[in-house]
Amino acid sequence: MERIVTGMSIDEVLKTMRGHEGYYITNTARDLSQSDFKNRILLHTDLLAAPAREKANYFSLEITGGASVHVDILRKQVDPFLKLELLREQMPNTMFQTLCRGVNLFGYRPYPQNVIRLAVREFAKYVDVWRVFDFMNHIPNMLAVFEEVQKAGKILEPCVCFSTGPEHTDDFYVKKVGEILEVTGDEILLCIKNHGGLGTPRRIGQLVAAIKDSYPDIVIHYHGHNTDGNDVGRISAAVKNGAKIIDAADHSFTGYYGPPPILSVIHDLREEGYEPVGINESAIIETSEVLRSEREHYEYFESQFKGFSPTVQIHKLPGGAMGSSFEQAVKGDFLDKMPEILHDELPQVQKELGNYWSVTPGSQILWTTAVNNVLDGDRYGNPTGDLKNLLLGKYGPFPFYQPPDWIYEKVFGADWKKILEEQGGLEEIEDIDIEKERAALAKRLGYEPTEQQLVTYLQHPNDAVEFFKFEEKFGKVYVLPPSILMRRGGFKLGETLQFKDHNGKEHVIEIGPKQKSEDGKWEVYLNVDHHERQYSFQEVVQGSVAQEAQLSKEEVEDLAKAGDVRAPFKANVCEISVEEGQDVKVGDRLAMVEAMKMQTPVDSVVNGKVEKIFTELGRALNVGDKMIKIKVDEG
Amino acid sequence: MKKKILVANRGEIAIRIIRAIQELGYTAVAVYETPDNDALHIRVADEAVWLGDGPRTDYLNIEKVIKAARKVGADAIHPGYGFLAENPDFAKACEDTGITFIGPSSEVISNLGDKVTARRIMAEANIPMVPGTQNLKAGDQGVDEAVAFGAKYGYPIMLKATAGGGGRGIRRVENEDQLRTEVHVARAEAKAAFNNDNVYIEKVVLTPKHVEVQILADAKGKTVHLGSRDCSIQRRNQKLVEIAPSLIEDRKLVDKICDTAVQAAKAANYFNAGTVEFLVDKDMNYYFMEINTRVQVEHTVTEMVTGIDIVRTQIKLALGKELAFNQEDVQIRGFAIEVRVNAEDPQNNFMPEAGKKVTVYRSPGGYGVRLDGFVYQGYTIPEDYDSLLVKMTVFGFSWNETVDRLRRCLANYVITGPKTTIPFYLKLVNDPDFQSGDFDTSFIETHPELIDYDEQGSEVNKLARLIAEIHFEGENKYAI
Repeated sequence: MERIVTGMSIDEVLKTMRGHEGYYITNTARDLSQSDFKNRILLHTDLLAAPAREKANYFSLEITGGASVHVDILRKQVDPFLKLELLREQMPNTMFQTLCRGVNLFGYRPYPQNVIRLAVREFAKYVDVWRVFDFMNHIPNMLAVFEEVQKAGKILEPCVCFSTGPEHTDDFYVKKVGEILEVTGDEILLCIKNHGGLGTPRRIGQLVAAIKDSYPDIVIHYHGHNTDGNDVGRISAAVKNGAKIIDAADHSFTGYYGPPPILSVIHDLREEGYEPVGINESAIIETSEVLRSEREHYEYFESQFKGFSPTVQIHKLPGGAMGSSFEQAVKGDFLDKMPEILHDELPQVQKELGNYWSVTPGSQILWTTAVNNVLDGDRYGNPTGDLKNLLLGKYGPFPFYQPPDWIYEKVFGADWKKILEEQGGLEEIEDIDIEKERAALAKRLGYEPTEQQLVTYLQHPNDAVEFFKFEEKFGKVYVLPPSILMRRGGFKLGETLQFKDHNGKEHVIEIGPKQKSEDGKWEVYLNVDHHERQYSFQEVVQGSVAQEAQLSKEEVEDLAKAGDVRAPFKANVCEISVEEGQDVKVGDRLAMVEAMKMQTPVDSVVNGKVEKIFTELGRALNVGDKMIKIKVDEG
Repeated sequence: MKKKILVANRGEIAIRIIRAIQELGYTAVAVYETPDNDALHIRVADEAVWLGDGPRTDYLNIEKVIKAARKVGADAIHPGYGFLAENPDFAKACEDTGITFIGPSSEVISNLGDKVTARRIMAEANIPMVPGTQNLKAGDQGVDEAVAFGAKYGYPIMLKATAGGGGRGIRRVENEDQLRTEVHVARAEAKAAFNNDNVYIEKVVLTPKHVEVQILADAKGKTVHLGSRDCSIQRRNQKLVEIAPSLIEDRKLVDKICDTAVQAAKAANYFNAGTVEFLVDKDMNYYFMEINTRVQVEHTVTEMVTGIDIVRTQIKLALGKELAFNQEDVQIRGFAIEVRVNAEDPQNNFMPEAGKKVTVYRSPGGYGVRLDGFVYQGYTIPEDYDSLLVKMTVFGFSWNETVDRLRRCLANYVITGPKTTIPFYLKLVNDPDFQSGDFDTSFIETHPELIDYDEQGSEVNKLARLIAEIHFEGENKYAI
């Protein structure tokens, strides 16, 4: 049998692949969406493409994992499990692949072991191939996922993350592969995860050859990004040197930082005498024809910077983080600082912080540190909580060398050695009481959650609850095409929208007038299945927030000294650590805020008693918004 | 000369009466207060007289209404329901000025409006009534009397102030101990409130059905009934849904109730159209409650199942015609349900939604539906009057068919602007107890889930809401 289909065991997969001269292809749709469209490609679009993708006979479709699970609920309002279920109906044979972090899974912070195991068990019902990585290439961080995937009888694909620099030698990576095989056994696929698309084709070819030299039977899956425009070259070199599976994407959606076009890879390798096993090329073309007309609706989410970015070899940002970095630069109004950040500061920070692998969450730490360093003008003067954790070794040991002492001193103060000694080391996270969490979720929802809802909640508590409430209010919105959901500028009067709902019923909505009523409310009229419906909206007064002068960093700090704790920057409250009436000391954590996937503690700078809590869990704060009032102790 | 009839009312009932007048070939005259400037009843009437600025004062002003009738040279006045309809002084004023009052005589209205007199008349005619006492004797004697009543008929019982009314001066008593103290309290309270310390006792009929009978009587004393109605579905004594005929399975009992109603009407010397109301308890005992001396809101359901135009008959009877049919000519065919579509928010304790503009109005049509309303698209509901917008009456050959039709018609009814009771009724028609005809006056109390609906509930409406939001915001803020 040529085709690899769902339900095949790792033995059968390995046997089939080893028995073929050719190579296999993973359609890396999720990574393409994440790298080039800020993860916004909707299930609706993937469902449109599903029949053609199924016909194409890929080894797998990478369709979940990474940040997509979070964006599914946060920005696409689709249940990540329902998404897989619906795609499976359309694609009974193609294996579904995911990408997950060993300790973080699909989130941004380490989860307790029992949460990781529960989540893997639940996702394993839909996901066949599990690509697992750790940004420190620290094998113990991945053990729980390894075990659960193998226990579920699914295909395990551990990664060695790849980067460049004097420390990143073949010897190092071959040794890493050995460490992996030691804990997993031989029955795995091995991924070379080149998330930045770093190195030349020659470098990648050498690496693959070195691994194959030591482990001739190993099946290597090469994953790269086309950020510099040259991933076809690297893929070609990988296959020629023995890689069996490669990652590429549907050409009509390719462009910048994601994987390169599948067909280009096929054409290139064909000249070299390598054929993709079982691939139906006309189905690949058909997929892109289906997708082409959808692309325009996602334009807003494409990178602000058009064109390839060969300087990735300097700044090493992973493809998946390129789009969002530029987005932050635009939103934070520091686009002019980007060359400095990317080409001077980031490589420097990278070197200073141990030249580890720039991938989630390590890439965010590098990026945020570099941005803070440049914008504040005070290098390492405004460390995030995650940077502190990195320096304390909470994520794992530094692979090559520890950052210099002066950084520790800058971040932790004169006592840094003591702090490092007392708090350093891999973070041990205790198991949580899952039944207690289930009850907490039930209370927030007002009904008993499903197992899947619980899993989603355990990873992103507030966003999950928001999403479930959204669905109660707006229904299953995945049925709406991007031409509706991603519409910008509203609809045209008289425009007719047609779609089928989750149950398959056809609906027609005609856009009616939009007018302001006497009491200042806006009324939107829709003709819904031939019934007039009216929707009222209160106009948001523009500028009411903006007109209020924003507090400066110094002002926020001064107020904090007086016990008036304000939001340090634009962020969401993800934890309130104190209660009203509680005594606090200098350094006690009052709350945690989250911005750009990074959590930062808000610590007390005074001794006193918590008088009033103004904020609440999940609240979006602007700089200087009131959070907590502390009655400062006299004297 | 063409007869002229003044309609001393507003809203849907004014229009209902105007239609009957015009069908008879007579001239219909409307009256109105200032807040009703834009009201439809003025438009459909042949003439209209402005009474004053109101609100709710000029429609109640006997002098002004009579003056208006004289000014236009009206031969008769139809009072509708509410306002002056059951005011014996108004009937008297008509009688005194030689204007025909379309309804019973002022004396009948007066007798039946007084509880004690009405009870006395009915007792003399052997009409079954809720067990009760005369005014309790003064002092401890009265207490003994009350305790003896409690021992005989059981608790709970009601202590009622003789001079009370409209729900005032009523105390529910659960046991003897409570009764011994409450008699004194009730007396003191009645004295303070009504300057009359007379109280009497009535047994409480627990979770009764409200069954009423439509009566027509001509001047010669020929009295017929038009069958029964069930008005058990009420909210705080306000009827919401009315059905004809009653769904009580024992049809002989229903016939008996109807016959009793005719007897009661005769005992009261009744003339014109009226309604005799009964309570029917769980053991199928029935008790006379009162006679309403006017056209009822829910007369439409009776019209649908009998084919008899009650308002037209009222006018003809008042103008001296005899009843043109006998009891045996009255045939009940099929079922009818009326729902009162009110501008109220059921989810906010049925709070009135008056003052709002009807931005979209689309009514259902097709077989078996009748609408008696007065709103139109663009109409702003005045804040000064009751919240009834439209009565939707559906009829069908069987009960199930009628319920199915009601469901369809409610689903096809679109009113936007004010919130209405439509979504509440949609929950109601899907309630198994309602569908099986199993309800009494405790129905709404015991079915709190009826107000637990999501107005935008269906999947497409939820999606449409998001589309409206994207349209309003100009982008999908949930995706950004």
